Amino acid sequence: MRTKFSRRMASFGLTAALALATVAVARGRYKPYSPSAPDFRVEGPADAKVTVVEFSDFQCPACRYAEPPLRQLRALYRGRIRFVFKHFPLRMHQWARPAAAAAECAGRQGKFWPYHDMLYDRQDEWTNEKYDSFLTGYARRVGLDLPAWQACRAGASAAAAVQADVQEGDDAWVNSTPTFFINGRRFVGAQQLTALGVLRIDQELKAR
Amino acid sequence: MKTRETTGTAARLVVGAVLIFAGASKAAAPAAEFALVIQAYGLLSPSLALPMAGLLPWIEIAVGWALLLGLETRLAAAAAGAMFGVFLSALASVILRGIPIPNCGCFGGAAHFSPPQAFLVDSVLLALSWTAFRAGPSAWSLDSWSDRGL
Repeated sequence: MRTKFSRRMASFGLTAALALATVAVARGRYKPYSPSAPDFRVEGPADAKVTVVEFSDFQCPACRYAEPPLRQLRALYRGRIRFVFKHFPLRMHQWARPAAAAAECAGRQGKFWPYHDMLYDRQDEWTNEKYDSFLTGYARRVGLDLPAWQACRAGASAAAAVQADVQEGDDAWVNSTPTFFINGRRFVGAQQLTALGVLRIDQELKAR
Repeated sequence: MKTRETTGTAARLVVGAVLIFAGASKAAAPAAEFALVIQAYGLLSPSLALPMAGLLPWIEIAVGWALLLGLETRLAAAAAGAMFGVFLSALASVILRGIPIPNCGCFGGAAHFSPPQAFLVDSVLLALSWTAFRAGPSAWSLDSWSDRGL
Protein backbone atom coordinates (compact mmCIF):
# COMPACT_ATOMS: atom_id res chain seq x y z
CA MET A 1 0.00 0.00 0.00
CA ARG A 2 2.77 2.40 0.95
CA THR A 3 4.70 1.47 -2.18
CA LYS A 4 1.67 2.23 -4.31
CA PHE A 5 1.28 5.61 -2.68
CA SER A 6 4.92 6.55 -2.98
CA ARG A 7 5.08 5.38 -6.59
CA ARG A 8 2.02 7.51 -7.28
CA MET A 9 3.65 10.55 -5.70
CA ALA A 10 6.88 9.84 -7.58
CA SER A 11 4.90 9.68 -10.83
CA PHE A 12 3.32 13.07 -10.22
CA GLY A 13 6.67 14.51 -9.21
CA LEU A 14 8.35 13.19 -12.36
CA THR A 15 5.64 14.63 -14.61
CA ALA A 16 5.76 18.03 -12.90
CA ALA A 17 9.56 18.08 -13.10
CA LEU A 18 9.49 17.23 -16.80
CA ALA A 19 6.91 19.98 -17.44
CA LEU A 20 9.10 22.52 -15.62
CA ALA A 21 12.17 21.35 -17.50
CA THR A 22 10.33 21.61 -20.83
CA VAL A 23 9.41 25.24 -20.21
CA ALA A 24 12.93 26.04 -19.00
CA VAL A 25 14.49 24.46 -22.10
CA ALA A 26 11.99 26.19 -24.40
CA ARG A 27 12.71 29.59 -22.84
CA GLY A 28 16.45 28.99 -23.01
CA ARG A 29 16.27 28.15 -26.68
CA TYR A 30 14.23 31.23 -27.53
CA LYS A 31 16.16 33.51 -29.81
CA PRO A 32 15.08 37.12 -29.99
CA TYR A 33 13.58 37.74 -33.40
CA SER A 34 16.48 38.65 -35.63
CA PRO A 35 15.61 37.77 -39.19
CA SER A 36 17.95 37.58 -42.11
CA ALA A 37 17.79 40.30 -44.71
CA PRO A 38 20.09 41.38 -47.54
CA ASP A 39 23.05 43.36 -46.16
CA PHE A 40 21.88 46.54 -47.86
CA ARG A 41 18.77 46.57 -45.62
CA VAL A 42 20.74 45.95 -42.44
CA GLU A 43 22.60 48.62 -40.51
CA GLY A 44 24.95 48.15 -37.58
CA PRO A 45 27.19 45.38 -36.29
CA ALA A 46 26.10 41.75 -36.66
CA ASP A 47 26.95 41.04 -33.02
CA ALA A 48 25.05 44.02 -31.59
CA LYS A 49 23.27 43.32 -28.30
CA VAL A 50 20.06 44.83 -29.63
CA THR A 51 18.33 44.13 -32.92
CA VAL A 52 15.56 46.44 -34.06
CA VAL A 53 13.43 45.05 -36.88
CA GLU A 54 11.01 47.32 -38.68
CA PHE A 55 8.15 46.05 -40.84
CA SER A 56 7.18 49.00 -42.98
CA ASP A 57 5.23 50.15 -46.02
CA PHE A 58 6.48 53.06 -48.14
CA GLN A 59 2.94 54.27 -48.82
CA CYS A 60 1.78 54.21 -45.22
CA PRO A 61 1.44 57.64 -43.58
CA ALA A 62 2.07 56.26 -40.09
CA CYS A 63 5.39 54.88 -41.36
CA ARG A 64 6.35 58.29 -42.68
CA TYR A 65 5.51 59.90 -39.34
CA ALA A 66 7.69 57.30 -37.67
CA GLU A 67 10.67 58.22 -39.87
CA PRO A 68 11.99 61.34 -38.07
CA PRO A 69 12.07 59.71 -34.59
CA LEU A 70 13.39 56.51 -36.13
CA ARG A 71 16.22 58.34 -37.88
CA GLN A 72 17.11 60.07 -34.61
CA LEU A 73 17.08 56.74 -32.85
CA ARG A 74 19.30 55.11 -35.47
CA ALA A 75 21.74 58.02 -35.22
CA LEU A 76 21.72 57.97 -31.42
CA TYR A 77 22.48 54.25 -31.17
CA ARG A 78 24.67 53.97 -34.27
CA GLY A 79 27.23 51.22 -33.87
CA ARG A 80 25.45 49.74 -30.86
CA ILE A 81 22.26 48.36 -32.42
CA ARG A 82 21.49 46.32 -35.50
CA PHE A 83 18.63 47.74 -37.53
CA VAL A 84 16.81 45.56 -40.08
CA PHE A 85 14.29 46.87 -42.58
CA LYS A 86 11.56 44.46 -43.69
CA HIS A 87 9.05 45.14 -46.46
CA PHE A 88 5.43 44.92 -45.45
CA PRO A 89 3.36 46.59 -48.19
CA LEU A 90 -0.26 46.45 -47.07
CA ARG A 91 -2.88 45.16 -49.49
CA MET A 92 -4.88 48.37 -49.30
CA HIS A 93 -1.91 50.43 -50.54
CA GLN A 94 -1.81 49.80 -54.26
CA TRP A 95 1.53 51.55 -54.94
CA ALA A 96 3.36 50.19 -51.92
CA ARG A 97 4.44 46.95 -53.59
CA PRO A 98 6.00 48.53 -56.72
CA ALA A 99 7.72 51.04 -54.43
CA ALA A 100 9.08 48.22 -52.27
CA ALA A 101 10.42 46.42 -55.35
CA ALA A 102 11.95 49.70 -56.59
CA ALA A 103 13.73 50.20 -53.25
CA GLU A 104 14.87 46.58 -53.29
CA CYS A 105 16.40 47.11 -56.74
CA ALA A 106 18.06 50.34 -55.57
CA GLY A 107 19.49 48.31 -52.70
CA ARG A 108 21.05 45.84 -55.10
CA GLN A 109 23.05 48.79 -56.41
CA GLY A 110 24.02 49.81 -52.88
CA LYS A 111 21.57 52.72 -52.69
CA PHE A 112 18.80 51.33 -50.52
CA TRP A 113 18.90 53.93 -47.74
CA PRO A 114 18.95 57.05 -49.92
CA TYR A 115 16.11 55.62 -52.01
CA HIS A 116 14.21 54.60 -48.87
CA ASP A 117 14.59 58.11 -47.42
CA MET A 118 13.43 59.68 -50.64
CA LEU A 119 10.29 57.52 -50.78
CA TYR A 120 9.27 58.56 -47.28
CA ASP A 121 10.25 62.22 -47.63
CA ARG A 122 8.24 62.54 -50.85
CA GLN A 123 5.39 60.23 -50.01
CA ASP A 124 2.76 62.82 -50.96
CA GLU A 125 4.32 63.26 -54.36
CA TRP A 126 4.50 59.71 -55.77
CA THR A 127 1.49 57.95 -54.21
CA ASN A 128 -0.80 58.28 -57.24
CA GLU A 129 -1.25 56.92 -60.78
CA LYS A 130 1.97 58.60 -61.92
CA TYR A 131 4.02 56.66 -59.38
CA ASP A 132 6.10 54.96 -62.03
CA SER A 133 7.60 58.14 -63.45
CA PHE A 134 8.31 59.41 -59.92
CA LEU A 135 10.00 56.17 -58.90
CA THR A 136 12.16 56.41 -62.01
CA GLY A 137 12.93 60.06 -61.29
CA TYR A 138 14.11 59.18 -57.77
CA ALA A 139 16.23 56.39 -59.19
CA ARG A 140 17.95 58.93 -61.41
CA ARG A 141 18.41 61.35 -58.50
CA VAL A 142 20.09 58.84 -56.22
CA GLY A 143 22.36 57.95 -59.12
CA LEU A 144 21.26 54.44 -60.03
CA ASP A 145 22.25 52.60 -63.17
CA LEU A 146 18.79 52.99 -64.73
CA PRO A 147 18.76 50.13 -67.27
CA ALA A 148 19.95 47.69 -64.60
CA TRP A 149 17.41 49.04 -62.13
CA GLN A 150 14.56 48.71 -64.65
CA ALA A 151 15.65 45.18 -65.51
CA CYS A 152 15.66 44.31 -61.82
CA ARG A 153 12.17 45.78 -61.38
CA ALA A 154 10.87 43.78 -64.34
CA GLY A 155 12.42 40.59 -63.00
CA ALA A 156 10.84 38.26 -60.50
CA SER A 157 13.48 38.22 -57.79
CA ALA A 158 12.81 41.67 -56.28
CA ALA A 159 9.08 40.94 -56.06
CA ALA A 160 9.90 37.56 -54.54
CA ALA A 161 12.12 39.19 -51.90
CA VAL A 162 9.29 41.56 -51.00
CA GLN A 163 6.82 38.68 -50.85
CA ALA A 164 9.18 36.68 -48.61
CA ASP A 165 9.19 39.58 -46.13
CA VAL A 166 5.39 39.83 -46.28
CA GLN A 167 5.11 36.13 -45.52
CA GLU A 168 7.49 36.52 -42.61
CA GLY A 169 5.44 39.42 -41.27
CA ASP A 170 2.25 37.40 -41.63
CA ASP A 171 3.84 34.53 -39.75
CA ALA A 172 4.81 36.94 -36.98
CA TRP A 173 1.26 38.34 -36.83
CA VAL A 174 2.23 41.77 -38.07
CA ASN A 175 -1.04 43.44 -38.99
CA SER A 176 -0.28 47.12 -39.07
CA THR A 177 2.67 49.24 -40.06
CA PRO A 178 5.08 50.24 -38.81
CA THR A 179 5.63 47.33 -36.43
CA PHE A 180 8.96 47.13 -34.62
CA PHE A 181 10.55 44.17 -32.87
CA ILE A 182 13.22 45.14 -30.35
CA ASN A 183 14.99 41.92 -29.40
CA GLY A 184 11.74 40.12 -30.08
CA ARG A 185 9.48 42.48 -28.13
CA ARG A 186 6.78 44.03 -30.30
CA PHE A 187 6.14 47.79 -30.55
CA VAL A 188 3.43 49.00 -32.88
CA GLY A 189 3.63 52.52 -34.30
CA ALA A 190 5.89 55.51 -33.74
CA GLN A 191 4.28 56.31 -30.40
CA GLN A 192 5.14 52.96 -28.83
CA LEU A 193 8.61 53.07 -30.36
CA THR A 194 9.50 56.44 -28.88
CA ALA A 195 7.66 56.09 -25.58
CA LEU A 196 8.51 52.48 -24.72
CA GLY A 197 10.88 51.13 -27.34
CA VAL A 198 13.73 53.46 -26.45
CA LEU A 199 13.53 52.39 -22.80
CA ARG A 200 13.66 48.79 -23.96
CA ILE A 201 16.76 49.45 -26.06
CA ASP A 202 18.50 51.08 -23.08
CA GLN A 203 17.57 48.18 -20.82
CA GLU A 204 18.80 45.59 -23.30
CA LEU A 205 22.04 47.46 -23.89
CA LYS A 206 22.73 47.56 -20.16
CA ALA A 207 21.71 43.95 -19.55
CA ARG A 208 24.16 41.04 -19.68
CA MET B 1 -7.97 -6.46 -26.54
CA LYS B 2 -4.28 -6.46 -27.36
CA THR B 3 -4.84 -4.29 -30.47
CA ARG B 4 -6.85 -1.80 -28.49
CA GLU B 5 -4.06 -1.49 -25.96
CA THR B 6 -1.43 -1.01 -28.67
CA THR B 7 -3.41 1.60 -30.62
CA GLY B 8 -4.35 3.33 -27.37
CA THR B 9 -0.71 3.55 -26.34
CA ALA B 10 0.34 4.78 -29.78
CA ALA B 11 -2.44 7.38 -29.71
CA ARG B 12 -1.48 8.75 -26.32
CA LEU B 13 2.20 8.94 -27.32
CA VAL B 14 1.33 10.94 -30.45
CA VAL B 15 -1.10 13.30 -28.69
CA GLY B 16 1.31 13.75 -25.77
CA ALA B 17 4.26 14.57 -28.02
CA VAL B 18 2.23 17.05 -30.09
CA LEU B 19 0.94 18.79 -26.95
CA ILE B 20 4.43 19.10 -25.46
CA PHE B 21 5.77 20.49 -28.74
CA ALA B 22 2.88 22.95 -29.09
CA GLY B 23 3.16 24.10 -25.49
CA ALA B 24 6.94 24.46 -25.63
CA SER B 25 6.79 26.46 -28.89
CA LYS B 26 4.36 28.88 -27.28
CA ALA B 27 6.15 29.03 -23.93
CA ALA B 28 9.39 29.97 -25.72
CA ALA B 29 8.18 33.40 -26.84
CA PRO B 30 6.94 36.19 -24.55
CA ALA B 31 3.34 35.54 -23.40
CA ALA B 32 2.32 38.87 -24.93
CA GLU B 33 2.99 37.38 -28.37
CA PHE B 34 0.58 34.49 -27.81
CA ALA B 35 -1.93 36.87 -26.20
CA LEU B 36 -2.02 38.72 -29.52
CA VAL B 37 -2.97 35.46 -31.23
CA ILE B 38 -5.71 34.75 -28.69
CA GLN B 39 -7.13 38.25 -29.13
CA ALA B 40 -7.25 37.83 -32.90
CA TYR B 41 -9.80 35.04 -32.42
CA GLY B 42 -12.10 37.66 -30.92
CA LEU B 43 -13.50 35.32 -28.26
CA LEU B 44 -11.76 36.50 -25.11
CA SER B 45 -11.49 40.03 -23.76
CA PRO B 46 -7.98 41.53 -23.78
CA SER B 47 -7.83 41.34 -19.98
CA LEU B 48 -8.33 37.57 -20.15
CA ALA B 49 -6.09 36.97 -23.14
CA LEU B 50 -2.81 37.63 -21.33
CA PRO B 51 -3.39 35.31 -18.34
CA MET B 52 -4.71 32.70 -20.75
CA ALA B 53 -1.58 33.07 -22.90
CA GLY B 54 0.57 32.49 -19.83
CA LEU B 55 -1.43 29.49 -18.62
CA LEU B 56 -2.32 27.51 -21.73
CA PRO B 57 1.24 26.42 -22.66
CA TRP B 58 1.71 25.03 -19.12
CA ILE B 59 -1.53 23.05 -19.34
CA GLU B 60 -0.56 21.67 -22.74
CA ILE B 61 2.88 20.64 -21.51
CA ALA B 62 1.62 19.06 -18.27
CA VAL B 63 -1.17 17.14 -20.01
CA GLY B 64 1.27 16.19 -22.75
CA TRP B 65 3.78 14.65 -20.32
CA ALA B 66 0.97 12.91 -18.40
CA LEU B 67 -0.13 11.27 -21.67
CA LEU B 68 3.37 10.42 -22.75
CA LEU B 69 4.18 8.77 -19.42
CA GLY B 70 0.71 7.34 -18.85
CA LEU B 71 -0.07 9.20 -15.63
CA GLU B 72 -3.82 9.36 -14.91
CA THR B 73 -4.13 8.25 -18.51
CA ARG B 74 -7.90 8.48 -18.75
CA LEU B 75 -8.10 11.89 -17.07
CA ALA B 76 -5.23 13.23 -19.20
CA ALA B 77 -6.83 11.91 -22.40
CA ALA B 78 -10.14 13.51 -21.41
CA ALA B 79 -8.37 16.82 -20.68
CA ALA B 80 -6.60 16.66 -24.05
CA GLY B 81 -9.91 15.89 -25.77
CA ALA B 82 -11.55 18.84 -24.01
CA MET B 83 -8.73 21.14 -25.16
CA PHE B 84 -9.03 19.99 -28.76
CA GLY B 85 -12.80 20.51 -28.49
CA VAL B 86 -12.19 24.12 -27.40
CA PHE B 87 -9.57 24.68 -30.13
CA LEU B 88 -11.92 23.25 -32.77
CA SER B 89 -14.75 25.54 -31.65
CA ALA B 90 -12.44 28.56 -31.73
CA LEU B 91 -11.17 27.62 -35.21
CA ALA B 92 -14.69 26.97 -36.48
CA SER B 93 -15.77 30.35 -35.16
CA VAL B 94 -13.02 32.28 -37.02
CA ILE B 95 -13.61 30.27 -40.18
CA LEU B 96 -17.37 30.84 -40.07
CA ARG B 97 -17.10 34.52 -39.17
CA GLY B 98 -14.50 34.98 -41.92
CA ILE B 99 -11.93 36.53 -39.58
CA PRO B 100 -8.68 36.61 -41.54
CA ILE B 101 -6.02 35.26 -39.21
CA PRO B 102 -2.63 34.59 -40.80
CA ASN B 103 -2.16 31.21 -39.07
CA CYS B 104 -3.66 29.31 -36.16
CA GLY B 105 -0.90 30.23 -33.72
CA CYS B 106 -1.01 26.67 -32.40
CA PHE B 107 2.75 26.14 -32.52
CA GLY B 108 4.05 29.63 -31.78
CA GLY B 109 6.73 30.47 -34.29
CA ALA B 110 7.60 26.83 -34.98
CA ALA B 111 4.97 25.92 -37.59
CA HIS B 112 2.27 27.84 -39.39
CA PHE B 113 -1.05 26.19 -40.19
CA SER B 114 -3.99 28.00 -41.73
CA PRO B 115 -7.23 27.71 -39.72
CA PRO B 116 -8.68 24.98 -42.00
CA GLN B 117 -5.44 22.98 -41.81
CA ALA B 118 -5.40 23.36 -38.03
CA PHE B 119 -9.03 22.24 -37.92
CA LEU B 120 -8.08 19.04 -39.71
CA VAL B 121 -5.07 18.41 -37.45
CA ASP B 122 -7.09 19.06 -34.28
CA SER B 123 -9.87 16.74 -35.47
CA VAL B 124 -7.36 13.93 -35.88
CA LEU B 125 -5.89 14.69 -32.45
CA LEU B 126 -9.37 14.69 -30.91
CA ALA B 127 -10.01 11.25 -32.41
CA LEU B 128 -6.66 10.02 -31.08
CA SER B 129 -7.50 11.39 -27.62
CA TRP B 130 -10.71 9.39 -27.73
CA THR B 131 -8.77 6.27 -28.72
CA ALA B 132 -6.37 6.83 -25.82
CA PHE B 133 -9.26 7.45 -23.43
CA ARG B 134 -11.02 4.22 -24.41
CA ALA B 135 -7.88 2.13 -24.09
CA GLY B 136 -6.95 3.51 -20.67
CA PRO B 137 -3.55 2.84 -19.10
CA SER B 138 -1.41 0.21 -20.77
CA ALA B 139 1.31 -1.99 -19.27
CA TRP B 140 3.91 0.62 -20.16
CA SER B 141 2.57 3.51 -18.11
CA LEU B 142 3.18 5.16 -14.77
CA ASP B 143 -0.41 4.21 -13.89
CA SER B 144 0.23 0.49 -14.09
CA TRP B 145 3.70 0.83 -12.56
CA SER B 146 2.27 2.51 -9.45
CA ASP B 147 -0.76 0.18 -9.32
CA ARG B 148 1.46 -2.86 -9.35
CA GLY B 149 2.93 -1.82 -6.01
CA LEU B 150 5.33 -4.37 -4.64
